[in-house]
Amino acid sequence: MPVAMSKERWLQCLGSTLWPSFLAAAVASVVFFASIDPETLRMQTLPDWDMSRMAGYTIGFFMFWAVGLFSSSLTYLLSGGGNRRHE
Amino acid sequence: MSKREDKVEFDVGMYAAREKIHPREVDGTFQRLRHLAVIVLLGIYYGLPWITWDGRQAVLFDLPARQFHIFALTFWPQDFVYLALLLILAALSLFFFTALAGRMWCGYACPQTVWTEAFMWMERWTEGKRQQRLKLDKSPWTASKFLRRGSKHVLWVVFALYTGFTFVGYFTPIRELSVSVATFGLGPWETFWLLFYAFATWGNAGFLREQVCIYMCPYARFQSAMFDPNSLIISYDEQRGEPRGGRSRNIDHRAHGLGDCIDCNLCVQACPTGIDIRDGLQYECIACAACIDACDSVMDKMNYPRGLIRYTTDNAMEGKPSHILRPRIVIYAVLLLALMAGTAYSLTQRTPLAMEVLADRNVLYRDVDFETVENIYTVRILNKDREARDYVLSVDGLPGAEVVTRPEHIRVDAGGTGQVTASVRVPREEARGTGHSIELRLQATDDEAIQRTNTARFHGPREE
Repeated sequence: MPVAMSKERWLQCLGSTLWPSFLAAAVASVVFFASIDPETLRMQTLPDWDMSRMAGYTIGFFMFWAVGLFSSSLTYLLSGGGNRRHE
Repeated sequence: MSKREDKVEFDVGMYAAREKIHPREVDGTFQRLRHLAVIVLLGIYYGLPWITWDGRQAVLFDLPARQFHIFALTFWPQDFVYLALLLILAALSLFFFTALAGRMWCGYACPQTVWTEAFMWMERWTEGKRQQRLKLDKSPWTASKFLRRGSKHVLWVVFALYTGFTFVGYFTPIRELSVSVATFGLGPWETFWLLFYAFATWGNAGFLREQVCIYMCPYARFQSAMFDPNSLIISYDEQRGEPRGGRSRNIDHRAHGLGDCIDCNLCVQACPTGIDIRDGLQYECIACAACIDACDSVMDKMNYPRGLIRYTTDNAMEGKPSHILRPRIVIYAVLLLALMAGTAYSLTQRTPLAMEVLADRNVLYRDVDFETVENIYTVRILNKDREARDYVLSVDGLPGAEVVTRPEHIRVDAGGTGQVTASVRVPREEARGTGHSIELRLQATDDEAIQRTNTARFHGPREE
């Protein structure tokens, strides 16, 4: 079991999970929202909610980021993550 | 001076605490080039949103309205293909320049490098040169240290916030945005993205710096795949430099068995990623050429020829000729040119009109009277222009065919969509059988160039 992670290892862990998922989320948001209008989604799912398009984009982006982060974290964990000697 | 204390050890196995790198400031041709690049690129970034074109912001990614304005062009979600093309072009250019000139991108144009450089300037203004900064790091918290550190952070934060503000200004008209900021009337999403981008800038350029390149950048990991022995790299001339060592300026060092490297360690001190270029090409090297400038200045002082560390190629280092024109370069260049020409051509040929034709699914065909049958279509129109227009629909492909829409002139607002039911009528004798091809043409009434043609299927009664 890893003992307390050093600051550098933490940074590395964040760098190799937050960052790739951020990139993926950016691409996914662009592709997704280019073809789908968040306004249409809102009308079909939660028509009572008062949400602007900007809110739709932002929520969408963070959802993509969260999914990407989950996947990146699993990859980090399964590929040795904190115990791996970084090359 | 042959101290080794400046070299930062990345003891990766032990994860030794990282030492903050204080690159030594150097002057020289390449550093001036880099400064120029920083000023030009940041100038574009901060200046572009303030340019007005045709009465509106020249570059505006209007997400709420789902339109992108770039000078005279307006893009819609339907123009997504151009975004894809742009990304392909960007990727190809990166391949091309990497194969040709190595990590030019990293050293001169990458936002990480550019903003880090700007943040380092601020650090230099407030905390002084490298030696002063190293001393400041070790000194206790005196008033002077507090003042210097404090003013650095104030500068950083203000600059980062302005960067975030400019970023949001690409998505919300920046003039209105500045009014909202001045009157504290900023909306929640704008506030959020402004702070988010400011925080990212501040963290990446102020603190993470070279760690972004070393640990986070995917390009740094795969760029070597695009290299070949003819790519431009920054390299230390080992043949000429070794054996390194200190010496007096007046002696004939060759006679003493020494190479040209005086082991002054300036190249290491100047390196923003903390590597020693004399150990060979390393993936941490962002090709900023600071070591070249540092070394050249020393060579000048020693009256040795410049270029002990220089831009060169693997081939040149081994005494073989370097080739600029080689298959990889030619292929990238041809692809790049073809794509650029194609994109430019299609942009000039773009009609600000899109149309979708959907056949009525319920009825195949309908008898109007004994002589005529009709098919019903729903026509959706998107006016991508910046003014409202009237359109008329016409039909071609079957003899005697005519189309009726109500109203005849379909008006669609600028940037709006319209929908109209069109009935196409064809003489019974011409319409026998299913699946005739017809062409529906939508034409703007006031501009002949604005038109669209879609193909549709027309179904008539079975052959008898």
